[in-house]
Formats: sequence, C-alpha cells, structure tokens
Amino acid sequence: MKTAADYVEQILTKHVNVPNCHTLDYYVKNDKGYEALRKALTMKPADIVDEVKKSNLRGRGGAGFPTGMKWSFMPADPKDSNGNPKPKYMVCNADEGEPGTFKDRLIMTKFPHKMVEGMIIACHAINSNKGFIYIRGEFYKETRIMQKAIDEAKAAGFLGKNIMGTDFDCDLIIYKGAGAYICGEETALLNSLEGKRGEPRLKPPFPAQVGAYGMPSCVNNVETFAAVPYILNEGAEKYASLGIEKAGGTRLYAVSGHVNKPGVYELPMTMTLREVIEVAGGVRTGHSIKAVIPGGASCPMLRADEIDVKMDYDSLAKAGTMSGSGGVIVLDETVNIVEAVYVLLKFYEHESCGQCSQCREGSHWLARMFKRILDGGGNNDDLDYIAKICSNMAGQTICAFADAVTGPALSSVRKFRSEFEDLIRNGGLHPEKGGAHSHAKEGAHV
Amino acid sequence: MSNTDFEIKKPKVDLNYSSHLKPVHSDPNPEAKPLPKVTIDGKTYEFKPGDTIMQVAERYKIHEEIPRYCYHPGMPIAGTCRMCTVEVEKAPKLMTSCSTPAGDGMVVHTRSEKVMKSRTGVMEFLLTNHPLDCPVCDKAGECELQDYNFEYGPAKSNFKEEKRVYDNATTKKLSPLVTLNMNRCVHCERCVRFTDDITKTNDLVMVNRGWHKELEATTPEGLKNDYQGCLTDFCPVGALTWNDFRFQKRSWFLAKKPSICDKCSKGCNIEVHSDADVVYRYVPIHNEMVNGHWMCDTGRNSYQEYMNPLRVISHMMRQEDKMHSVSIEAVLASVNAQLKGTSSVQIVIGTDSTREEAALLKDKVPALIGKNVSVSYFNGTGVNTPADDKKLDNLLKMKDQTANSRGVEEQGLTPLTNGELTADVAVLFRNGRTGIPKMKADQKLVLWGVWSQSEIQSLPSKNILGVIAGLATIEKEGSYKNADGIVQKFHPAIIHRGGALSAHHVVGLWKSLT
Repeated sequence: MKTAADYVEQILTKHVNVPNCHTLDYYVKNDKGYEALRKALTMKPADIVDEVKKSNLRGRGGAGFPTGMKWSFMPADPKDSNGNPKPKYMVCNADEGEPGTFKDRLIMTKFPHKMVEGMIIACHAINSNKGFIYIRGEFYKETRIMQKAIDEAKAAGFLGKNIMGTDFDCDLIIYKGAGAYICGEETALLNSLEGKRGEPRLKPPFPAQVGAYGMPSCVNNVETFAAVPYILNEGAEKYASLGIEKAGGTRLYAVSGHVNKPGVYELPMTMTLREVIEVAGGVRTGHSIKAVIPGGASCPMLRADEIDVKMDYDSLAKAGTMSGSGGVIVLDETVNIVEAVYVLLKFYEHESCGQCSQCREGSHWLARMFKRILDGGGNNDDLDYIAKICSNMAGQTICAFADAVTGPALSSVRKFRSEFEDLIRNGGLHPEKGGAHSHAKEGAHV
Repeated sequence: MSNTDFEIKKPKVDLNYSSHLKPVHSDPNPEAKPLPKVTIDGKTYEFKPGDTIMQVAERYKIHEEIPRYCYHPGMPIAGTCRMCTVEVEKAPKLMTSCSTPAGDGMVVHTRSEKVMKSRTGVMEFLLTNHPLDCPVCDKAGECELQDYNFEYGPAKSNFKEEKRVYDNATTKKLSPLVTLNMNRCVHCERCVRFTDDITKTNDLVMVNRGWHKELEATTPEGLKNDYQGCLTDFCPVGALTWNDFRFQKRSWFLAKKPSICDKCSKGCNIEVHSDADVVYRYVPIHNEMVNGHWMCDTGRNSYQEYMNPLRVISHMMRQEDKMHSVSIEAVLASVNAQLKGTSSVQIVIGTDSTREEAALLKDKVPALIGKNVSVSYFNGTGVNTPADDKKLDNLLKMKDQTANSRGVEEQGLTPLTNGELTADVAVLFRNGRTGIPKMKADQKLVLWGVWSQSEIQSLPSKNILGVIAGLATIEKEGSYKNADGIVQKFHPAIIHRGGALSAHHVVGLWKSLT
C-alpha cells in the first residue's frame, strides 16, 4: 500500500516518527531549523509578504483565505487618535476545537519550532513585535511543549531582543483558552484573549483594523505558520508547485472514524477524497462507506457515491461542501446517520455562544427535534421543518457558527432522508425499548 | 448653556424611549460638499456621514420603525438579535441596519420578501422558549415581543419540544426594586450593556452559554446602581419588572402625559402614567439636552410623596385648639387679619416653586399684606444657593433636591439668612421638596403649598395660623430652570382631585378679600 510520502514531499511531517523531533536541537540539525528566519531577517517585510503571496499559501483554519493577502491588509503605519504609533499583533489560532480535526495538535506536539519560526517570520513580515498563541484549554501537554519550545528559542536567541544580531525584536506569549469551541472563531478568540466573554464581534471593523486589545491584528492557523519556513527555504515556486493552481503546498488531513489507520496524513490537494481514505488504510475491513464528512464536523456530509471529489477548496465547494479544517470523518454502514448527526447537534447546542437569536434557539431546537425523531416521536412534517429552521439560521448571524450547525443537519436530511423516514415509521431507533435510544441519557447541561 | 426654552413633548414613537434624531438638511453654504444620499425603500434621503441605516430610517420616520431588540439609541451597538436586518443591494447577506453604516448610493430595502422572512424566522426562534404568559405579565401592552410578533411573527409555531424553564425563574429578585423572570428573557442584553457602559457599575452579567445563557447579578447583593428603573423601561419583554409597578395596573389603562421630575435640580423629562388621576409610575422620556434616555430611581419613586394619603390636600386653620379643614376663604380671611396685626412678616419661597409662582409671591403678595415684607428663598436640602449644587455621579443625580433653585434665584431673591426665620410671622411656600427652616419656639407660621401631615405635626401646632394646600408639579403648569440653565415648561399631567388650589387662584381670592 502506498504511504503519504509516495504522493508528495512531506514538508511538515517528514520527521514525525523521530522521538526527539520536537526539540530545538533536532530541528536545527536535521530540519533546516531557523534558517528561514535568518534569511527572512535579511529580507524586507514587503518581500516576505510577496513571497508568501507567490506561494499560493491559503489559510489552513477552514476558510482558506490567501495568507499573503491577509498579511498585506495589515495597515503599514497605524496611529491612534493622538497620532501616536499603535502596536500590531500577530495572533496564532491554536484553538483547534472542530470535531474530527487534530492536525494542529500534531504540529504543536511534534514540530513546535516550525510553528514558532513561521510565526516570528510572520511578525517580521507585518512589522509586529508581539505575537499571541491562543491554545485551546484542553491542550495541557501541547501548551507545555509550546512553552518549552518558546523558552528554547529565546535561550538560543531566535526570540526576544535583537534576534540574530539584527534590530528586530519579537516576543511570543502563550494564552490558554478555557475550551470553548466558539473561541476558534477569530474575533471570539480576540475577545477571549482580552479576557472578555468568547463571543464573536460584529464585523466591520475587521481584526486588521481593530483586533486584539483594539490594535491591528492578524490571526492565522497553526498549520499556516508551520508552512512558512519551507516557503522561504525552498522558494515560493517550489511550494506552489506542490499544490494546485490556486492553492499551494500540501495539506494535513486528520482522518478518523471507521478507517483502518486513523491519523494525520500530509497529502497534496490533487487527491480525491477516496484516495485520502485509501491512504488511511481504507474503510475498516468487512464494511463499506456510508457517509463522509470531508472537512470537520461543520461541513455538509457526502454520500459514498460522492467521494470521488478532489480535495481542494474549489472542487469541494462545487460538490456542495467545504474543505474546512481537513478533518475527514468516515462513517460506515453500521452508523445510523440521524444518531450521528444528533451527537454533532448536541455538541453545537452546547457550544453556541448565545448572542444571535437564530443560533441560540435554532441549534437547540434542531437537537431536540433530532432526539424526538430518534425516540420515535417524529413525523414527516418534521423533515420539512428541519430544512426550514436551517434556512432561517444559515447566513443570518454574526459568525459562521449557525452555518456550521446547518451543514450536517441539512445535508443529512437531504442525502439520507430514507433513514429519517424509517425511524419515523418504525417508532424510533429502539422501538422495542419504547423508543429510547443509546444516546437518550441526558447530559447535565441538556 | 443659554436660556433655551422648550416645552416637554411626548415623542412620536410609542415606546418608553425614542430617537431624538431630526432630518438633516443640506448646508446652506453652496460651497459645502453635498451630503451623501442613500435610497431606502425607493426614496432617496440625505444623511450625515457615519449614520447607520437604522439612524437614517429613524430620522425620516421611514415606516413605523425598523424592529429591534438589542439596539437601543442610548447604548453601544451589539447587533446580536438580528431582528433589524435589511436587504442591501449588492450585499450577499442581509445586513443588520443598527450596525451597518449607510453608504453613498446604497440601495436598501427594509421590507422586502427576504427581510420579512428573516424577521418571521427570528420571531419564531424567540417565541420557541418564551412562556407566552402575557395575561399575567406586567409588560403586556407595551411589550416589543408582542408588538413585533403582531407585525412579523408566524401565525403558528411548529415547536413541539418542551420549553426552557430556569430555576426559580419567576421569583428572582435582582434587588429590592427589580424582579427578574428569566423565562421571559429574549437575551438582547440591553441590561448588561446598560450597567457596563452607562452606569459603569457592572452589576449584571450573562452566565453560561448558548441556550442556557442566564442573567445574573455579579454580586450576591444584586443590583447596586441608582438607575435600576431604566432596566425595566427598556427591557423589551417582561423579564425585568419594577417591583413598585408589578401587578398594579395593566399598561393599556394608563393615561400618559409628559411632565418634569422635580426630585432634583436636573429636571428629567418624564411621562406620568396614571389612571383616574392616580399616578402609578414615572418613566423617563428622551431629551438629549437634559436626561438622555434615563432617570434615577429616587426620582422615579418620588410620585409616592404626591400620592401619599398623608399629603394635606385641604385648607386648614386652628379652631378651638385643633386644626380643622375649612374653606379657602375662611383660611385667607383669618390669615389676612392676623398678618395685618403683626409688626413684621417674611415670605419664604421654596426653591421647588415654579418660576411663575416665585414671581407671583415676590411681586403680588407683599402688596396684599400691605407692610414692609421681606422676601427670601430657602432650599434646605444640603445646598443654600445654586452655586453649591454639584453632580453626585457621572450620569444625572444632583445634590440639590429641588427643581428650580436657579429659576427662583433669577427673580432677584436672596437666600434666607442662616436658614433661620426672624420675623414674627413667616409665610412658607413650598412644593413638598425643600426642607423646613430653623425657627424660634414661638414662631408664627402660615404654611402654603404641598405639605404632609407628618411635617405639620413636627411643628408647634398652636403657632400655625393657617395651611393653604397647593398643587404639586404634576398637577400644575409652570416652568423650571434646571442646574444646566435650561428652562423647561410643563403642563398638568393629572387633575388634582383634592381641595388644593394653584398659587394664582389663591392670590386672586386673597386680592378679593382686601
């Protein structure tokens, strides 16, 4: 069977199996550690931004916004109302909370220096002297490793005052979140970073104008930063050539669910979803695929006959779903789709921040409705009503959370309507137990 | 500020607050840049750069109003209720009109099909968990959820699940003044933003997340600001209710007339809510120059002193060692005779009198008594002259607890020396707000205006020559000059049903006696 390395150069995860690959020592000796930073410090910030633009690097957090363009949106010389210069901040979004996604966690445990180096370069590129790394609250181990990496880099002179003898100062600060999913949204992250409730902000103003602590800020994903050193070391053209026309480089896919070898795989975006699943060992032996969620829980799901779609941003969008954060969840035929989606909806119901009316009430309503259908209390009108609730939620709120809720809910009704109808007709998942199903136990919060 | 006279008027929009915004017109200067224009519902309007779509619509009173829950003109914009969304041409999504700045050439539809569908959706979501206990809810009749549901809501709901019920939801007291019913809350968070940004006391906070979000006080003592009544005014539903008004009256029975709060020198513009000339509450009305959208709790509860059964509302004089209710003619005849028989008389005008009353007492009454009468004013609430007045907080409250210190001083009067009565007989005129001056043991008194029985009992009754009952602020007309020098006229908000008479009426009768 072919491994990931047979498809593309492993630019991020080449050394993943070496026990000490997270140390500075190993990184400097074996992985061209901090050479890109040395090169970047000799370049003008604008040239770095141009290089990143040329590499076609697109944000790996989920939205896929071109990174170079995002950096170029940062104001060159921001001033406050009194005419004093304002600081600019680089923020790393390490609040990886999307169900089914665990690629940033791998980078933080195995290649923290790659991310730190990329972040220092990014700070230099936007003329910022301070970066915040917002790490999800549950990532205790990752936080420790990241802090150690920052300490090592500081001791070696890659961070702090006068980095590598130049007049560039940079400091990175780790901030631990409290484990809220919504804080992965960039403006909610900034609110949380400031110590406020983690609720998304109204846009405009965008973070590039008013970000962390009211200063211009740029928020990028862990994987995005980790890709930056390679771009500077090997050149933007090389990086771009690894990818496709509008998106350069490789991507990390976190494959989970009913596959033989779940894990993180570094693959090119030219592959189809079926090939990605093949690399992960294929669907578990003796079973067949029923549905696949291609990019984290909030993406609409695909049926087994739809997985020959290319895994780049645009092809997936054309197929009615998203490339998202790269979390591929494979469900085989033993899964009841309604039950699976109910589990996701319970998560969303719990994680909605509760600002916008539609999201607060709608996510709860959907979860209750799915549960009622599972318990045998559904009727055929409910299915039309799920679609109506979803259309009232999607695109109506401050952030994309409401769209994320409707992704799995709406696609499941559209693509697996017969399963809903079976449950309605048969009186729930376990009619012999009076309709109670395996997830009927109420959580304390529901 | 210059002496700007204006009359208190009830704003057009029938909510407890409204926008003060007036249409902008092009600068007469021809060289000035033309104002940008926005098209709303097919008509083109000029706007001030920086205005949001909501503000432009409010200035020109487009339709009734754009529905809103979280938006309040006096508070920072949140943009979370999603009720005020409008369709902007070329924008991919519906935009919240409260937060989207109007742009030159923008084309906006406030009632397109897409917009109405979205609003119906929001209403349906909000109503899923609303208890719909309107028959026992104090907000019914002035509830924004009712109003907007009538206009935009779905005819019926398909919500078949159980509604959300919070623990102790209907009995939670946020303070002795305010009760919270969390079940009714629509999570607009106006109250949280009010305590964060207006009173800056940070009393309230939303705990938990999403569907479980619950309003709580930050400290066990509950609310600690002095503007708690405002929370109950702008709460769009019956979640926050004013204990004093709770279960007292259905709101649609209330007559609503504008007046002025006379509890301090700020002169907040209020609406007096009464039924059968019994006042049930005061609510503030918007006046950007005076009180903005707010009023303090002390002022809000000050109606109780005028509605108090102990207030003297009939004229009294001493007969056979007791105070008796008698006709105004009898009191005036007796008082007139006794004043003529004394060597020195002084008139003390309370600083809570209107400008017109102060002028009348200074100019006309000494001539009626016909002696060399000294006239002075008295405050007695911790300040002697308007110069002593100062702000008690960053919002509205003033140290001077009377409404018209500046207006009375303006009549050329001087304060009562040492706050002490000196003449044989003193005529004390007040509106129920000033203190009572110091006096010697056998000081003879004529009490005029608003007095309570307890105040009268604290004075030696054998020295009281007569009591002339007068009208309170909400019952009379006149004008006050507030601490900022703004003169505000007002008219009766309720009709006085007792025997009290206006000062002009009394002076007229007095004149006919002499």
